[in-house]
Amino acid sequence: MTEDHRISRRTALITLSALGVAAAGGLAAMPGTAWAQALGQNESVEDAMKRLFGGKPMRDGAASVKLDVPLIAENGAVVPISVSVDSPMTPTNYVKHIYVVADKNRIPVVTRVTLSPEAGRAFMGANIRLGESGDVRAIVEQSDGSLLAVKREVKVTVGGCGG
Amino acid sequence: MSDIGKVRLRVPSSIKAGDVVQVRALVIHPMERIERDAQGKIVQKNYNYINKVIVTYLGKTVATFDTTQNVAENPFFTFTFKATDPGQLKVQFLDTTGGRYEGIADIKFS
Repeated sequence: MTEDHRISRRTALITLSALGVAAAGGLAAMPGTAWAQALGQNESVEDAMKRLFGGKPMRDGAASVKLDVPLIAENGAVVPISVSVDSPMTPTNYVKHIYVVADKNRIPVVTRVTLSPEAGRAFMGANIRLGESGDVRAIVEQSDGSLLAVKREVKVTVGGCGG
Repeated sequence: MSDIGKVRLRVPSSIKAGDVVQVRALVIHPMERIERDAQGKIVQKNYNYINKVIVTYLGKTVATFDTTQNVAENPFFTFTFKATDPGQLKVQFLDTTGGRYEGIADIKFS
């Protein structure tokens, strides 16, 4: 692939994605898209936490956050995970973000879910990849900015992150 | 794969007004992983994976997922929403190549 070909391709892609976002009715602002790209970086989990949350204190969320992930994942390529949070989900008190972070993955941040009070319940589920055995964390950011964290160790038999 | 972008939404068959409904959304997508060359260096290219999922109900955004390559192939997401009025539930998947796939479910009360 030649250099100028790559640039033109990238420009085309940026234009396309901008169009896609515009077509989505302005639901996703462009900064959001840039964020999503910055979300997945090749870094250590400490760096990722520092980048996402700064030095904000985190409370143990074991009482209200339920992280559901298998203890042993035979196939790291598909690991079902779900997070549910005890929250009234009213416009004044709701769960704003749920982050899922896998400590041992090369890109530790797996997903960031943004919820609105219309969701009714603070819940998310997804199938994720885990490279090797290690902690999986769920970090919940509430509408008042406070952070709750829970983590669980998952043993992975066959890693699923490839190269 | 010609199936890329096929979206399936699973909504409970009977919904009552005011229920908090759990929906499962599946999309067929390769979610390319990071490749490395023989020296172990990461191949720099535009990987094709879904980086955003937007859920709208009655035109309002209920939830968005910002995802990275750590989400499994043919990703499936679960979320909830509060069914207040009959209407359209739309789930859009955006990938890094500008692809945009969407699934629509009509929410009716029984």
